[in-house]
Amino acid sequence: MNKYILILPLIFYSSLVGASANLELQTVLIDLNNKASLQRGAKIFMNNCFGCHSLKYQRYVKFIDHLSLDQETIEKNLIFTTDKNGKPTKIGSLMLNAVNSDHSKESFGIMPPDLTLIARSRGPDWLYTFLMSFYQDESRPFGVNNKLYPNVSMPHVLWWMEGIKKPINSDLSEFEYVKKGNITEIEYKQSTTDLVNFLTYVSEPAQLDRYRIGFWVMLFLVIFSFVAFLLKIEYWKDID
Amino acid sequence: MNKLMAWIDERLPVSNFVKNHLSQYYAPKNFNFFYYFGALAIFVFILQIVTGIFLTIHYKPDAVQAFASVEYIMRDVEWGWLIRYMHSTGASFFFIIIYLHMFRAMMYGSYKNPRELLWIFGMLIFVLLMAEAFMGYLLPWGQMSYWGAQVIISLFGAIPFIGESLATWIRGDYVISDATLNRFFAFHVIAIPLLLFALIYLHLAALHTTGSNNPDGIEIKNYKDENGIPLDGIPFHPYYTVKDVFGLSFFLIIFAFIVFFLPELGGYFLEKDNFVPANPLKTPEHIVPVWYFTPFYAILRAIPDKFGGVLVMGLAIFVLFLLPWIDRCPVKSMRYRSRVYKILLTLFAISFIGLGYIGMNPVTPILTWVGRLFTLIYFGFFIVLYFISPKEKTKNVPDRVTMHE
Amino acid sequence: MTESKKPSNRRKFLTNLTQVLGGVGGVFSLIPFLKTMSPSARARSAGAPIEIDISNLPPGSYKVVEWRGKPVWIIRRTQNMIDKTLEEDNQLSDPKSLEEHQPNYTKNKFRSIKPEYLVLLGVCTHLGCSPLYKPNAKSKELGLDWKGGFFCPCHGSKFDLSGRVHKGMPAPYNLEVPPYYFVSETKIIVGENGENV
Repeated sequence: MNKYILILPLIFYSSLVGASANLELQTVLIDLNNKASLQRGAKIFMNNCFGCHSLKYQRYVKFIDHLSLDQETIEKNLIFTTDKNGKPTKIGSLMLNAVNSDHSKESFGIMPPDLTLIARSRGPDWLYTFLMSFYQDESRPFGVNNKLYPNVSMPHVLWWMEGIKKPINSDLSEFEYVKKGNITEIEYKQSTTDLVNFLTYVSEPAQLDRYRIGFWVMLFLVIFSFVAFLLKIEYWKDID
Repeated sequence: MNKLMAWIDERLPVSNFVKNHLSQYYAPKNFNFFYYFGALAIFVFILQIVTGIFLTIHYKPDAVQAFASVEYIMRDVEWGWLIRYMHSTGASFFFIIIYLHMFRAMMYGSYKNPRELLWIFGMLIFVLLMAEAFMGYLLPWGQMSYWGAQVIISLFGAIPFIGESLATWIRGDYVISDATLNRFFAFHVIAIPLLLFALIYLHLAALHTTGSNNPDGIEIKNYKDENGIPLDGIPFHPYYTVKDVFGLSFFLIIFAFIVFFLPELGGYFLEKDNFVPANPLKTPEHIVPVWYFTPFYAILRAIPDKFGGVLVMGLAIFVLFLLPWIDRCPVKSMRYRSRVYKILLTLFAISFIGLGYIGMNPVTPILTWVGRLFTLIYFGFFIVLYFISPKEKTKNVPDRVTMHE
Repeated sequence: MTESKKPSNRRKFLTNLTQVLGGVGGVFSLIPFLKTMSPSARARSAGAPIEIDISNLPPGSYKVVEWRGKPVWIIRRTQNMIDKTLEEDNQLSDPKSLEEHQPNYTKNKFRSIKPEYLVLLGVCTHLGCSPLYKPNAKSKELGLDWKGGFFCPCHGSKFDLSGRVHKGMPAPYNLEVPPYYFVSETKIIVGENGENV
């Protein structure tokens, strides 16, 4: 029951977001009930992405309830930043990073965007496809380009996991790996799925509650409607 | 209890009010599905007011803080997400309900003598509601909020001579800015709701003066029993209150489903670009208004001239005000009107929905031409109606209402 | 129509059932609205326990820190102050701290875990002003019988050096002690009870 409720809106959502892109998007199966996947995704994000991309509307402390992590684990393994007094960032804080905007503008040409809501504005499929679409291109400053988002000002941060692939033909339809990553292709797909799963959760933590509560609200309303219907029929017996 | 009631009644005629407007207010007994929407509109209005108050408690009308304060409501405020989704879903449902409510009036001639004023009040409510929704949409301060407002306010710039200064005056700045956000907030939470409240009161007062129309378009007051009670009337309470409670509960099932399972409705109720903070330097790839404005937006785009487009779009709304005088057919309900009228009304509905669809999509040559055709049909409805309605071949209208269940 | 007829049992039952269900639904839907007004995650995170370093606090001095938007005082008593603190004092209205305005572990004449350090919520129990620290006895302004303590400038309430209120003052009870504990000799956490409570 719960699974279907979860998947239904996502299918609807994905299909609409996908329609506007000029490239066929790969589908990623989002499962916010999979805490292990969310935890792995959080770890990948904090270790690889958070240096540049903040999650400035999210608070670390939410991971206790939402990701089933305890305070100590979060403080030890996920919080890498310090506050203005040099002490480790408090668990109740927003997830800001230390990126100095001038410095970033210099090295990337733009400010790396905050990613709290990226899964809502772009959609999970877009994110997944984006992360799968880096390829070697020596003409670019970082030596990589992206098939989904051509000339993106972002290095392939996860290259050490995926490896680096090079296009075989000029229309970018086929690739071959020129450098091996430290995990297999299947493992990389799983890691990317975890990362996208995590970002989807971060984009709207309320999802964890609303499907569950919605079920009970609907159940109540259906019962109430039925009683209200019987009442209406009962009164309207008078009318001929 | 009775004593207390008597004490109050001597000072404020509560019992009389209940009698006059509920237990002894006689409504036609043949209301069908389309007659739920009036009561539902009142419900959604109250829901928007209440959820709005609770959002205002946490929202910051400030260009720097607005976007973050909405995310704050969605994450950090307990149950804030539910209140916000009820408000955003409520806005869309308000229009669904109002459009069906208006179409009901067109099917059964509810705007005709003696209910012209009732219709005018309703139209004023509709126009204010559009202003309310438009200003409310700026408040989340996302990309769509920003650029939607930019486009719509620029429309005023098309008015000859005063246009540009008028647009600047509305914005309070040369672009959409903090000043605009702050004043829209004031209008959205206080000014327009107060006006809406007053107009809804007048709308209901006018309704209870003339009494409701019905699907047969017959005045039930023409046939009364010896006590002066309409033969085809039934007391609003309990009969229509229990019916409306059922209608409301059924509506709530659909409403709750959207709120809990599809709050974005795939980008129609909450647009995906609105999850990106407003950026005055970067326009989103394709700007569309929220779905309830798209029929009028499509009319705007159908006209290949800036001022002309604005004028025709304004006319598309204004012409509805004149409907009681454009439609000169003495028979109210389409049930007893000519086939021509039914065809006209169907074409009108198709063109309205078609325009809505076109307004949601990017401009293409084909869609532009289809949009022009639908615009022509939209206005054609009123023009043709004006000429054919006096000499329509109508059926015999029965004296008493009919029941179809 | 059959208005004169008495309503049937079925009708009465369904009316009651609809009303009860509607009432239950109504009450439940009130909860989210009321809950939005309780402290948000932001407010709770600002109200989270704070760590205070007391290593550089000389005897006789004090420190003010903010916790939940209120001033918290940490006063390091001198030996003299400790010696002068009495169990019974007829100037005070509740010298034994019988009223519950402090955690149990500070229910002593020093109203603190360690006599040397006093931690108090710097908010007058009368109307919420912040009292002033007046450690010196026999002041001009507070009279010759003043033994040192706190004085609230708003309505003149006086408290002794343990934050105990004097008799006949507008303030109804002793200054509150927030929950706190020592992590080490030089560090305290305010806003949370220690593990041994």
